[in-house]
Amino acid sequence: MAAAVAVPEHKLSESPNSRAIEIFDWTVTAETGPISSATHSDALHAALGIPLPEMTFGSNFLQLTHRPSGWTYAFRAEDALKGVKNGPLDAGDGGVKVGYADDWLRSRTGPDSQIPMPQTVTTKPYDWTYTTTYAGSLEDAGSGNAQWVSGEATNALHAIPIAELSRPDPILFYAEIPLFEDELHDNGASHLLVRIRVMPTCIFILSRFTLRVDNVLFRARDTRIYHSFASTPPLVVRETRGWEAPYERLKRALPRRDDLMPLTDPNFICKTLSDMPREASQEAGAGTGWRGLGNVVQIATLQS
Amino acid sequence: MEREVDGWIQQLTQCKQLTEADVKKLCDKTREILMEEANVQPVRCPVTVCGDIHGQFHDLSELFRIGGNSPDTNYLFMGDYVDRGYYSVETVTLLVAMKLRYRDRVTILRGNHESRQITQVYGFYDECLRKYGNANVWRFFTDLFDFLPLTALIENQIFCLHGGLSPSIDTLDHVRAIDRVQEVPHEGPMCDLLWSDPDDRCGWGISPRGAGYTFGQDISEAFNHNNGLTLVARAHQLVMEGYNWGQDRNVVTIFSAPNYCYRCGNQAAIMEIDEKLSYSFLQFDPAPRTGEPLVSRRVPDYFL
Repeated sequence: MAAAVAVPEHKLSESPNSRAIEIFDWTVTAETGPISSATHSDALHAALGIPLPEMTFGSNFLQLTHRPSGWTYAFRAEDALKGVKNGPLDAGDGGVKVGYADDWLRSRTGPDSQIPMPQTVTTKPYDWTYTTTYAGSLEDAGSGNAQWVSGEATNALHAIPIAELSRPDPILFYAEIPLFEDELHDNGASHLLVRIRVMPTCIFILSRFTLRVDNVLFRARDTRIYHSFASTPPLVVRETRGWEAPYERLKRALPRRDDLMPLTDPNFICKTLSDMPREASQEAGAGTGWRGLGNVVQIATLQS
Repeated sequence: MEREVDGWIQQLTQCKQLTEADVKKLCDKTREILMEEANVQPVRCPVTVCGDIHGQFHDLSELFRIGGNSPDTNYLFMGDYVDRGYYSVETVTLLVAMKLRYRDRVTILRGNHESRQITQVYGFYDECLRKYGNANVWRFFTDLFDFLPLTALIENQIFCLHGGLSPSIDTLDHVRAIDRVQEVPHEGPMCDLLWSDPDDRCGWGISPRGAGYTFGQDISEAFNHNNGLTLVARAHQLVMEGYNWGQDRNVVTIFSAPNYCYRCGNQAAIMEIDEKLSYSFLQFDPAPRTGEPLVSRRVPDYFL
């Protein structure tokens, strides 16, 4: 098979926990280490004010810098967790309880309760599902002060070119950077995973948040970042999409009814949610009123 | 019988599963032993206490290399043998076979994953279907899990269990009064013992999830004092260092699955208790091996 595109000059570097590529005007660094130590976790806990996800990869990050302008964008666990609601959940936060919460409470407080509720202290309210609409951190707007602005629906350059990204060009740099995961005490799962591939013609990032609350709902939010090396002036496209659906709705989409494993697979969740009619998964959702539903396309124009 | 079980153990030590008929025989025989065990199973020292294993068979082998082989070393496992790892079948079969062979030298408690409902979501059911072509082995084991003791008491001083304390349980006699032979319920003291967690706040807290308790240092202090205990040892929570002291050393968390889920990079630990009841922790890392990813899902992929 003849290579469809020429491979541009680039420089790779690697250490045990870090990998980087320099290509055209860009430097991309991916740091992937173990979960945070007890000491680091305590510090993060103190800084954020909420109990941390069981797996918090507090040192992991993905950072990309456009060298000529200094524009720097990153994905970091601490920033993502800053987007998790700390305090009582309000309209738009999409707060939920576990599927059996009512039964559980009734068993402790109802008239025929065998097990009376002890005196309890108020547990600090926060979003235990770790739902976040985090779409990355603009760490330096660069010499041109490039901010995100709305993309034009009719402008092909303001869309993510699926055809180009589907081409089997060589992947020059690839990384998966987990930022956090939590099994919600086996009531489901909350994941935030960032992936990047640097291709001969472009940089492409997918940051994917997925949430399963057993017998309650599924929720997902994707952030895609795309930059074509051919764009002049350099253009970065950012697309976010959010979905939600009742648990039963995805359960009906299982290939085998008695095998629930696909429900633990973020790819299955996102595929099923995005295949649903827009009114269902991007408007009605699971009826929580979560503000993260729907699609937004934005662009940043960098100084060359 | 002993020779037959020795043969099974030898086969399992090489990570080779037993036949369906042998698993049935193993579970039938072990049930007779477990039926005689108490909800608070007395254990003598010296003994080595272990936390979650989660189907990480090769790490369990490493644990035996570090801690010593059975029956030279006595073991107490605090549950969560199955789900998430690739070898739940071999792991749980080996531990149950060890229990059958050395009933007084091996104690296996129930974790919240030793349940029909949880294993259908987190992998054990799926693995049984894949390795045996039907759900019989899953049924044999989950039926056996109903008989596992909930807690153990080392020399009347160290109380061991999977999750944590319960507001319905002030004394060990309250634990003894539980009718444990059932699927793990969603509420009540049996549920609490397998699910609850220590927390920074004093008193009993209700988790923001809407179900489940957290217990403060005052609770564990009072529980230890009232029952003449020096320590509560539990598992259930991932900790980077493999063990973690909490609540002014009234509670210790032990986690024995290194590089949990093949991507956390955490250490594992076991707690050795000697004849004089003094304890020390042994930490260990996963032994790298072929055929099993050190970090999963790192193969470059044309995600969109």
